Amino acid sequence: MWQKLYTWLDERLGLGDMYANLLDRPEPKGNWWNTLGSASLFLFILQGATGIFLTVYYTPSPDHAYDSITYIMNDVAFGWLIRGIHHWGASLMVLVVFIHMVRVFVTASYKYPRELTWLIGVGLLLLTLGMGFTGYLLPWHQMAYWATTVGTQIAGSVPFLGEFILKALRGGPDLSALTLQRFFSAHIWMLPALLAGLIGVHLYLIIRHGESHFPDEED
Amino acid sequence: MNEETKKTISEKYERELQKGERFWPDSIFKDVVVSLGLFVLLLLLATFVGVHTPPKADPSDTSYIPRPEWYFLFLFKFLALYGQIPVLGKIEFIATVIIPGAAILVLTLLPFIEKSPYRHYGKRVLPISVMALFIVSMVTLTMIADIPTTSGTDGVYVAGIAQTIGGLVVPGLAFLGLFIMAFTLKQKAKKGMIWTTVIASVLMVVFTGLTLVYAPTVEAEAAEVPVTLPDQITAGQDLYSVHCVECHGDDGSVSVIEGVEGLEGEELTPINSRDVLYTITDSAMQEVIAYGRPTAGMNPFGKAYGGELTRSEIDYIVTFMRYAWDDRFEMPPVKPLYPALAEGEVPSYDVHIAPIVKRYCISCHRAGKENNNYLMGTYDEILHSGDNGPNVAAGDPESILLLTIQGTPILDDNGDELIGTMPPNKQLKADIIDVFLRWVMAGMPQTAEEAAALSTAPLPTPTP
Ligand code: HEC
Ligand code: HEC
Ligand code: HEM
Repeated sequence: MWQKLYTWLDERLGLGDMYANLLDRPEPKGNWWNTLGSASLFLFILQGATGIFLTVYYTPSPDHAYDSITYIMNDVAFGWLIRGIHHWGASLMVLVVFIHMVRVFVTASYKYPRELTWLIGVGLLLLTLGMGFTGYLLPWHQMAYWATTVGTQIAGSVPFLGEFILKALRGGPDLSALTLQRFFSAHIWMLPALLAGLIGVHLYLIIRHGESHFPDEED
Repeated sequence: MNEETKKTISEKYERELQKGERFWPDSIFKDVVVSLGLFVLLLLLATFVGVHTPPKADPSDTSYIPRPEWYFLFLFKFLALYGQIPVLGKIEFIATVIIPGAAILVLTLLPFIEKSPYRHYGKRVLPISVMALFIVSMVTLTMIADIPTTSGTDGVYVAGIAQTIGGLVVPGLAFLGLFIMAFTLKQKAKKGMIWTTVIASVLMVVFTGLTLVYAPTVEAEAAEVPVTLPDQITAGQDLYSVHCVECHGDDGSVSVIEGVEGLEGEELTPINSRDVLYTITDSAMQEVIAYGRPTAGMNPFGKAYGGELTRSEIDYIVTFMRYAWDDRFEMPPVKPLYPALAEGEVPSYDVHIAPIVKRYCISCHRAGKENNNYLMGTYDEILHSGDNGPNVAAGDPESILLLTIQGTPILDDNGDELIGTMPPNKQLKADIIDVFLRWVMAGMPQTAEEAAALSTAPLPTPTP
């Protein structure tokens, strides 16, 4: 019975090929530091899952954002857990992605033929930081409000373009409902879409070139 | 890179694969272990540490010190330190745009900048030294991020000097040294670069330590934000007692103001009535409190209009009014103002007197109000201040405070009233008077421990 089902699915999906091409690959001798990339991926997926749950109750308006978060924390069943994981997961993801980058740097895994993997990696690092920056404003509390005021101000200090960048980020001269709406949209649609796309390319490249081996005296 | 090298690299990789493992299950196993570990860590953090919630955003409260997420702190600190540099420090965009921009550019183009085919770290001393210095600076800057860059007073500010040296001068010089060595000494520079990195890192750590040791102790503002509904209602009631009671009465029922200078006899709609509660929405109510009713005599309370209350505080007052008076809302169980006293138990300032005073006395007994200079904000003030103070004397039932709250005015030599009964317009409930009595008679203990030591048997079971 199971055998039949598997054959049926294999014929249409090509499960056997997938196994041969994706999973049953040779790898250089592994190292625990090499788990950080997949840990980043895991955290990204976890953030996505918990984030989707949070949008069920979260309201991106200055009048309701704070209260909706309070509601999630106190009244929604397991809301505190979902928010807690998302909150700490964000910090952890930045940390893990950064250490992943440092390990790739130390083992010089960005060299031929993996230059593009690195290039895309830098994009991933910046996007992850962008997620942190936009997500921080969403609870609309004092700390976030003033940190974002200063943060956008810093972006506004770019010569010539500063004024434009500042207005584009804030949606006006000051932080307002428009800013919150913008950050929300960036945090749940634009940045994650970009991240997911780039992670896809990143992973394709890793499978294509294989994981690099740990360098020894010869390399 | 020529074809020859590429071939060598590919061949070496093939040989490594021969000696290697399978992606499934070997590598995947390790990946799963680490990811699961991180997940458990997150569960623990979410459960046992939780999420700290600062008060609601308040655009009018510009005194708030902005604090970004921790992973941006090092940039904030770098900006602050950079701003100290004479002349150059005034050109802000060098620190906000040029330097971070250059760092990101170098990071991005790294594979095209460091083109040598070598991967072993012994052959990559310069890149690894630069990265190590960078990471040490990031960590040390993050650690001193909360310490003020300048002291704002004259005199030597050791923590300021230490952080400038450790956060700016040492790493700056070390980076410079590394590059000079790399480009002048070429191959022979290895040892020099390693020593530069090690010494600079040690210095940075030492100066960070100095900064932390000599940092001025800032009083951590332990302002607890009420998060649960009952806590918010209590906070709202306390604020209401301080700011609103004199005109609206402690249950909001006042319809003719009495005893308020300039508003004597002013008529108002009782704010606990349906007329007010059913017709004014929450946000309109917040506006009324923030902006006041200046024409009718109620001054603005919102910080944005020159009052003392923040947005969150106004929110709590509205929450309190709704749950206490609006019959469409059901009051959740709220913690009593103070834990009930068992027989022989002595109340303490911290646990019993402070909340009572906050609710019933502070509205008049604070700076700027008429009260014979009797301020009741702290333990010491209650014991020592007041024109006729001290108003409490250990073990003395004739203490002024005890007499006035029991309805006995204090008369001067001519028999005129010197101090009226307290609080002036209404009598405290008997159990609250009893708390004051026990407290003064037992010698006015401040902390719960002191009070417990004074209690007589039967010892009370500790109330949480
Ligand atoms: C100095 C006296 C005074 C103080 C203190 C005061 N109010 Fe008022 N309040 C008034 C007067 C006078 C009115 C106008 C009454 C009217 O128009 O019926 C008013 C009106 C109101 C109204 C609107 C009633 C309506 O019908 O529009 C609300 C709500 C209110 N006050 C709440 C508060 C709260 C909450 C506080 C404490 C933060 C407070 N007030 C403090 C004097 C005061
Ligand atoms: C509505 C305003 C108001 C409230 C509420 C109030 N007081 Fe007073 N209190 C005064 C005034 C005004 C005086 C100055 C004497 C007078 O005019 O009677 C005073 C004076 C006193 C004095 C004498 C101080 C001195 O050194 O002369 C004591 C003691 C005192 N109050 C205790 C209390 C206590 C305890 C409470 C809370 C249970 C309280 N008061 C609540 C307005 C108030
Ligand atoms: C959202 C963030 C990221 C995800 C999900 C991710 C995912 C992964 C995964 C699963 C691997 C293979 C396993 C491993 O070597 O750890 C990997 C390898 C790699 N990553 Fe990332 N990564 C991220 C960010 C980055 C960053 C910031 C960089 C560098 C700037 C980077 C550069 C690389 C390179 C060069 C490799 C190949 C390493 C090798 O073959 O040894 N990645 N990444």
